[in-house]
Amino acid sequence: MSPSDLARVQFATTTSFHFLFVLLTLGLVTLLVITQTRFTLTRAPVHERMTRFWGRIYVINYALGIATGIVMEFQFGLDWSGLATYAGDVFGAPLALETLIAFFLESTFLGLWIFGWGRLNRWVHLALLYLTALTAYASAFWIMAANGFLQHPVGYRVEGNVLRLEDFSALLGNPTFGTALVHVVFASLTVGGVFLTGVSAYHFIKRTPEVDFFRRSLRLGVVTTALVTPSLVGAGFAQFPIIEELQPGKFAHAPGTALGFMILIGMTLMAVSWLTLPLLIKDAVIRMRFPLYLMVIGIPLPFLAAILGWVFREVGRQPWLIYGLLRTEDAVSQVDSSQILLSLIVFSSLFVVLACVDWALIARAVRRGPDVTPAPVSPLVVTL
Amino acid sequence: MELLWLIVLGTLVVGYFALAGFDYGTGLLLPFRGRDETLHRMTPFFLGNEVWLVAAIGVLFAAFPRLEGELLSGAHSTFTLILAGLVLFMAAVQLRLWSWLVFTGALMVSVGWGLFLAHLLHAPVAVALVMPVLFALHGWVFQTRRWALFPLTALLCALPIPLAFSSIDVAGLMAHTDTLGLLAWVAVPIIPLVVLLQWSIVSISSR
Repeated sequence: MSPSDLARVQFATTTSFHFLFVLLTLGLVTLLVITQTRFTLTRAPVHERMTRFWGRIYVINYALGIATGIVMEFQFGLDWSGLATYAGDVFGAPLALETLIAFFLESTFLGLWIFGWGRLNRWVHLALLYLTALTAYASAFWIMAANGFLQHPVGYRVEGNVLRLEDFSALLGNPTFGTALVHVVFASLTVGGVFLTGVSAYHFIKRTPEVDFFRRSLRLGVVTTALVTPSLVGAGFAQFPIIEELQPGKFAHAPGTALGFMILIGMTLMAVSWLTLPLLIKDAVIRMRFPLYLMVIGIPLPFLAAILGWVFREVGRQPWLIYGLLRTEDAVSQVDSSQILLSLIVFSSLFVVLACVDWALIARAVRRGPDVTPAPVSPLVVTL
Repeated sequence: MELLWLIVLGTLVVGYFALAGFDYGTGLLLPFRGRDETLHRMTPFFLGNEVWLVAAIGVLFAAFPRLEGELLSGAHSTFTLILAGLVLFMAAVQLRLWSWLVFTGALMVSVGWGLFLAHLLHAPVAVALVMPVLFALHGWVFQTRRWALFPLTALLCALPIPLAFSSIDVAGLMAHTDTLGLLAWVAVPIIPLVVLLQWSIVSISSR
């Protein structure tokens, strides 16, 4: 394979793994905002326990996700130096804003939230979670702004053989940005909703004594999924006319099966979550038991759909890295194939391990249930 | 504007090595010390330390776009080593299962930065050993709470790579002032804010 093919495979692998972590992070932090706000207002212990239990899983996932994010960020310089050289002035701006405003601050607020548990005024502690969630959304905002530029470059002028930033606000008004951002945000909320539902269902299958706790969690999960999936699907279809207009070759070029499967999963989740809503009355869905198994099996579905959607968006942009301006093959670094192959093998195997570790740690936290005598899950999580 | 961005990048890089340096040092010393207490001491700092690297690379990309690609792709395999080490180190510290994995991760990162230093200076590969030694020293100062020595070893860890950088002429490699001006509004207030907040994490967790 040529260096450019290897670099593409590597980018796709890194981004896909990173995306899995990001989806769960964004989805869970939003649901934590709901549970902790309830706790702060009502002081009911069940809401505190819910925040603690789901928060523990959130922190495990976040801490391991950072590792994939670091590799992700280095990719641009390692394999795609042509991108920075040509368009760094424009594309780099939202990317830097993401690392500074969003990630740098987000991780710091999260750190304060973790170590401030039980040590800070409860309103201050709640405010920290809001700030963590807000900066997490800011992260998605800037990343999608940067990606929107690759899909449909705007706000630049050509100066010699590089692009310069002409109008930053054009990047934010980019038609390939707004709707796609809404779509991604609702996708992560769906991941969060389906995850809460599935994990709670698992505990009912195991005949948990924590009936009230997981009943509330299951309801929160199902209601969230039902509320967000219509907007998710809507924001997906709303992108079709934009793509037809700005990237006419995309539907012909991109893997149609990826798009088809994504739509199928989205529609299924929407239909099933709405059908489940009436079954929440008097806990019918829990007593029927059979749907609980489907809920557990459903956990990976929104993750899969999100990856498929991303594959469609990115593969459909080929052969361009920046649509109409910079070809993918022209942006790849002047590096031997062997060096890229080495990094591809090393990172891919590490990410597989990392995803398994994440899964194992989350599964352990899930199995232990809400009440844990302080046993170290990890040094960061032990404090929760 | 050029000077401002050199200062911003310098601050982030120095911040990264001064803070993450004792993480890696702690990892390198782990086989020789009590595991639980050693890791416990690092805990409140761990997450905060590593994020300085992310911020530094973000600034490098946006403010020095024509330097970033050359620098990273020019030392491709060295960065593969550093990043693989980082992933191992972060995961191993989270898992707390095998001390040797924490040690291996820390060793890979430190040797990797040493190799990068040698690459920047066009020095023999043996120079790579400088970074693990400095990190280990910094980690030892941190673990034994010799706070009087702490600023000294922090500087020793932080300075080699920025100093080696200073041989590069950045004129012509930086972004246009339009981009730099826009980003300055964000970068300048955020760094002190993060320092303040990270300081609060440490003081809260030691309460």
